[in-house]
Amino acid sequence: MSSPVKFSANPRTAHGSLQCRKLRHAGEVPGNLYGHKQDPVAFSANAVSVLALVKSGNRLVNIELGGKTETALLREVQWDYLGDYIQHVDLQRVDPNERLTVEVHVELKGVAPGTMSGGILDHALHTLTVECLVTAIPDHVVVKIQDLQLGQAIHVREVELPSNVKCLNNPETIVVRVAVPQAAAEPGAEGGPAQPEVIGRKVEEKEEA
Amino acid sequence: MALMPKRVKHRKEQRRRIKGNATRGNRVSLGDFGLQVLQGGYIRANTIEACRIAATQYIRGDGKLYIRIFPSKPMTARPLETRMGKGKGEPAFWVAVVKPGAVLFEIAGVPADAARECLARIAYKLPLPVRMVARLPGE
Repeated sequence: MSSPVKFSANPRTAHGSLQCRKLRHAGEVPGNLYGHKQDPVAFSANAVSVLALVKSGNRLVNIELGGKTETALLREVQWDYLGDYIQHVDLQRVDPNERLTVEVHVELKGVAPGTMSGGILDHALHTLTVECLVTAIPDHVVVKIQDLQLGQAIHVREVELPSNVKCLNNPETIVVRVAVPQAAAEPGAEGGPAQPEVIGRKVEEKEEA
Repeated sequence: MALMPKRVKHRKEQRRRIKGNATRGNRVSLGDFGLQVLQGGYIRANTIEACRIAATQYIRGDGKLYIRIFPSKPMTARPLETRMGKGKGEPAFWVAVVKPGAVLFEIAGVPADAARECLARIAYKLPLPVRMVARLPGE
């Protein structure tokens, strides 16, 4: 759980891809603030501060925008194709007593004994979808794996969540498991044909015959 | 034998241009670390196989390797010492078309140092510039 962090931004009147591109060249990140049936507000913020906010893991922000301060949730971050720069951020207005659906990172704690006996740790689910109060959004969900033996798995239903936090994932989904190592099957090693089958080719040949 | 499709619609394809950047498959999504390509190009099926062998020989069952690309494009070649003309050559090998930003391989279940060494061994086999990437914050 984290308290809202201060975040300042400027309202922007420049809209559209060309204007946003110019903003990015000037070291700003365009964004939008929306929600609660109010008009959406376009803003721009310093790219360094936006990157610091995203990397900090905080989601709740007190955004200072045009002389007004509002509490908002960092809803979506768009990155460039290499994942180096932030292209755009979406902030959603929230109320402290509101329940929201958010994605929470799963963090593994401990060393699984199954990995010592030759197993491979397979972290299948990296985020959980949870519903909780805005003020009670967990920073991450800790999954303890110190009792995980070879061939065992931890499912979503076994994950311990803070009180008042409800998980929306399928309870039978595997979060983490220690897989039994299998003989590495070489792709294409089963001695198949040298060339793939051409769809429709055989049918035509039969018709001709 | 290297990777190739089981069934195809056409035996031969035109080369086409590789335009733009990768908008899908450009994030580490299965493992902890990945190898991201910085330039577009073709990666042959036997190169992917060489990378897989290099990686599995290094990690030796400690971690898991994910191959995120598949060679689905046939490339043709003309026999040696033949004159030009007489139609398109015969399919010779298969390639995966990659655009800048695509994550080619991912590795899970190993520490960062081991992952770096393993991905460096893969990178040595590849014909394109690559870099190691981790998951983005919040993903």
